[in-house]
Amino acid sequence: MQYSFETVGQALIAKLQGELDLHTSPQFKEELAKFFTTQPQIKYLIMDVKNLQFIDSSGLGVILGRYRELEQRGGRLFFVQANPHIKRVLQMSGMQKISEFADSAADVLERAEGGHL
Amino acid sequence: MMADTNWVKFEIPSDTRNVAFARTAVALFASQLDWTLDELEDIKVAVSEAVSNSIIHGYQLGEGVVRVEASYADRKLTIVIEDYGQGIPDVELAQETGYTTIPEERMGLGFTFMHEYMDEVLVVSEVQKGTKVILIKEVPQRSEG
Ligand SMILES: Nc1ncnc2c1ncn2[C@@H]1O[C@H](COP(=O)(O)OP(=O)(O)OP(=O)(O)O)[C@@H](O)[C@H]1O
Ligand SMILES: [Mg+2]
Repeated sequence: MQYSFETVGQALIAKLQGELDLHTSPQFKEELAKFFTTQPQIKYLIMDVKNLQFIDSSGLGVILGRYRELEQRGGRLFFVQANPHIKRVLQMSGMQKISEFADSAADVLERAEGGHL
Repeated sequence: MMADTNWVKFEIPSDTRNVAFARTAVALFASQLDWTLDELEDIKVAVSEAVSNSIIHGYQLGEGVVRVEASYADRKLTIVIEDYGQGIPDVELAQETGYTTIPEERMGLGFTFMHEYMDEVLVVSEVQKGTKVILIKEVPQRSEG
């Protein structure tokens, strides 16, 4: 499991590569939480899941935990390049209701800049 | 005619690293049957959920052994995941969507995924003895061409 983070204004872009499960999710959870505490301006979480090969309930739990925090900040959650498998587990977890799909992080940022979010 | 059968069995220590091994090994075995890639992915998720549950809940992230057995007869795949941990007092309640004994951290979706991705899920459990989860899925009949 590899991931990288990038903050652009109010957006945090998290790029995931590999498999997010019981073993790999605790560290990712911690790193993600760090950004949220040190950068309270973050309102948009953009998860780039193009290269995410696998996710189960342990991985989804980490993302949902962040969503609750985003919700309190009036923020939003985006999934970039989600494959059908990931879309399906999101749908089943009920998270699809609270998240949006996008083709690229740049798309989301553009919308944010244009005040269309 | 005799059924076409095969099986594989293995044991792993309750170590979070082994969840990936278990789901990948079972998927590799299962791929002897004629699944689509999506169906193999479904099997992986179901195994990942059951093995994760044994480690998280059965052994509370402590020591223990998880036993995995996969077999098929003709088109029907059966996977058994067993632990000798703390057990489930009410297996019906445990399988309800959103039910979890660790609400601060977890979503209570593991059993829901197993039910969604497999044809049949059977849970046999005894408190202080352990839990056995049986996952069954049959290769669908596909129309030719
Ligand atoms: N092998 C097991 N041993 C003991 N208890 C278990 C076992 N498997 C499941 N349980 C119990 O059943 C509940 C529901 O399991 P389920 O996998 O649906 O949700 P979860 O593991 O709590 O959350 P999630 O799977 O979304 O991370 C668990 O919270 C736990 O109390
Ligand atoms: Mg679970």
